[in-house]
Amino acid sequence: MATSIETFTAGTETAVDVAEVERQLRDLWKLASKDVHQRITRACLFNLIAYVETIADRDCVTAIISEVTSRHPCRAMVLLAQPELPRDEIAASITAHCHLAGGGGRQVCCEQISIHASGQRVADLPGAVLPLLESDLPAVLWWSGNFLDRLDLFRRLRSVTDRLIFDTSSWPPPVNLRQLASELPAPSQFSDLSWTRLALWQQLVAEAFDEPHCAAALPRLSEVEVIHGGGPGATLRAQLLGGWVAAQLGWSAAETQARLRLSCREDRDATTVGVMALTLRGPDFEVRVYKNHGEHTASVVVNVPDACGLPRKRAFAPDDVAALLGQELDRTPTPAVYRRALLQAGN
Amino acid sequence: MENPLREGLVTRHAAEPCVVVIFGATGDLTRRKLVPALCNLAHEGQLPAGFAVVGFARRPKSNAEFRAELLDGVKKFSRFNPINPAVWDSFAQGIFYHQAEFSDATGYDRLNQFLRQLDKDRGTAGNRLFYLATAPPDFTTIIRQLGAHGLGRGTASRIIVEKPFGRSLATAHELNTELATVFDENQVYRIDHYLGKETVQNILALRFANEIFEPLWNQKYIDHVQITVSESLGVETRGSYYEKSGALRDMVQNHMMQLLALVGMEPPAGLAANDIRDEKVKVLRSIRPIEPGHISQSSVRGQYAAGSLAGKAVVGYHEELNVAPDSRTETFVALKLFIDNWRWASVPFYLRHGKRLPKQTAEIAIQFKAPPAVLFAAETTAPVQPNVLVLRIQPDEGIAIRMNAKVPGTALHIEPVKMDFRYGGSFGARSPEAYERLLHDALAGDATLFTRSDEVEASWRLMDAVLTGWQTAGRPAAYEAGTWGPPEADAFIAKDGRTWRRP
Repeated sequence: MATSIETFTAGTETAVDVAEVERQLRDLWKLASKDVHQRITRACLFNLIAYVETIADRDCVTAIISEVTSRHPCRAMVLLAQPELPRDEIAASITAHCHLAGGGGRQVCCEQISIHASGQRVADLPGAVLPLLESDLPAVLWWSGNFLDRLDLFRRLRSVTDRLIFDTSSWPPPVNLRQLASELPAPSQFSDLSWTRLALWQQLVAEAFDEPHCAAALPRLSEVEVIHGGGPGATLRAQLLGGWVAAQLGWSAAETQARLRLSCREDRDATTVGVMALTLRGPDFEVRVYKNHGEHTASVVVNVPDACGLPRKRAFAPDDVAALLGQELDRTPTPAVYRRALLQAGN
Repeated sequence: MENPLREGLVTRHAAEPCVVVIFGATGDLTRRKLVPALCNLAHEGQLPAGFAVVGFARRPKSNAEFRAELLDGVKKFSRFNPINPAVWDSFAQGIFYHQAEFSDATGYDRLNQFLRQLDKDRGTAGNRLFYLATAPPDFTTIIRQLGAHGLGRGTASRIIVEKPFGRSLATAHELNTELATVFDENQVYRIDHYLGKETVQNILALRFANEIFEPLWNQKYIDHVQITVSESLGVETRGSYYEKSGALRDMVQNHMMQLLALVGMEPPAGLAANDIRDEKVKVLRSIRPIEPGHISQSSVRGQYAAGSLAGKAVVGYHEELNVAPDSRTETFVALKLFIDNWRWASVPFYLRHGKRLPKQTAEIAIQFKAPPAVLFAAETTAPVQPNVLVLRIQPDEGIAIRMNAKVPGTALHIEPVKMDFRYGGSFGARSPEAYERLLHDALAGDATLFTRSDEVEASWRLMDAVLTGWQTAGRPAAYEAGTWGPPEADAFIAKDGRTWRRP
């Protein structure tokens, strides 16, 4: 064994033969468990398969995995696919992500297997992944980029995993929402990180309508207005937010078209990441949620007869990809709600 | 009316707008636990917009001073660190200070007026949660004043009562009666913060969400159960309180009996508050009372003497501040209890708690019966060890199973091995604090994790018998600080052919 425990657990990549990955890892963890100085525990709750297409994305994803594994220990596999390269090659490397856990210098570690395939060998990636999946543990496919552009490979990898995570914010417009919905059939489990970024908006609106007077006003809702900025994925996110309200209220396609208004505003606030305001109106009421300028907070103002009109302000959760991925891994996805919102957004 | 926008959202339904009135608002509990827990809930969006806190205490103080003191506590004790200023500002706008003596009727008149004003300003609509965070002697005074001012039965009020809930069956019953004259039972929330701990709630999940354990959870397969709650600290500055309390009242009557009830209960009909509490009460009522004449066969009490802990010399209990030099207060207790029902017939439950023990820990160990010694006896030198399932409540929360495995080699050598699940290693997310969970439940009107009057009294009935037995049983046995209790405790369990676990 050429790799030392120190090298492995320090996060340095070691090249290994694809067929030898499992054996090499087994040997390294065995050595690690005997190392009285390092006090290492290997932890694994699920398989995380990350798909990327550039070296820069692979490095970025590796950094995110290092962060995410501190709360979500897993076997991570990073698949770098470069079908456009002329050489048909497949190669693997292994490393570990270790985090101090509690006192006494004990470390909890997870392994990362990186597989780089180019040319024709990209088609071998699903076959390389399958034997490396930890048995009896769920497998999550985290697809960086637009999987509609790589449907064949996507479907093959999707078929061996239990859950899909993607981020439509990074997809270049226009996005074919109907095609996207067709690739997410029930009862599959999936999460769109762009949807995760809407969590506080949805939460504030739902909370406002928990109040009995507001709940009674909800059937009279006749207009939904979403104002968004011009950042990456902002339009799609605004569509999803509007689509969500329409879908949850059971509006028809025609009702949605008549009642939902989306508008883009110039926004010089660097803290805005998409939606700027959401207003729900009826003949005698208005509930408005808006992002506060220069702050990572949103406020809600309720103007409903007899309801408590005190404004409320709440902070957005961190919205970097590591934080969003962590949030998604913390919870059970709600694909049915998303799918309905997507279909309404497509209207 | 069902809110369709709630579907699929992560956070729980926010409670209705409510005012929490904290009696004893300048005390440590408010600063260290209650307000940081409420602020954490605000951070997570689990408080309604009109939420307000009114601190009721004797010392004169302005709203601004009170808020500043609380912010200091939140900065130190909130799990959100640093605290988001926007969240704090919004939360702090609903914090108010009300100065009055607990026995002063005019103070409650003014409180009533102020609460009515808050109803108008913040939409709290008469929804109040009174929190008794005072010393127990003040409980009755406050309850009576609340009743006299129309703040109890027939309103949307609830009351949370901190421990200790009485110091005997008679005093607990008296307090229950006082509460019952002013509030209905469903308005009363007796807090036992152990029930707010994630790992304690996990006992039900482990038992009833795993098919592999429940079939074995009975006298046919379980040899005995050991529940240990050990503390390395002494009485610190609480000498005068502890002198009146002792280990049995302070820890066993409430927290440890709750742990026993959760381990011993039958599957509830549902997860509603009374479904679970009904089953817990049945367990407590099925525990065989300890006859005062048999106290030495069923219990050991001890008191720590000087010793050393973690390399430091520590004084004995008698040398502690505000402790009588001839005190007989127990700082260690071991009990053997039997649950006389079909499931647990003849399975002893050993409970052990003490101060100045080697380390701080809380665990429940289910020791299974040893396998028949017929198969491996001829081949192995040592008897095969029984399986043990350990639920670690603190620290290093998790679950461990000890099982037997063959040591690799040509000889048949069997050794125990341990499978260990640690919450910290598997679920990185930090759990909500116990008070956070309990306060949210009380705000939402969910009493599942609070104790009911009959539960409290059933537990006190058992403890009273022990206390009566001890009155004529001489002095507590001395044990050196930093050890696992008096030698008498080892002999106590050894008589049954068993030994204490080393947590």
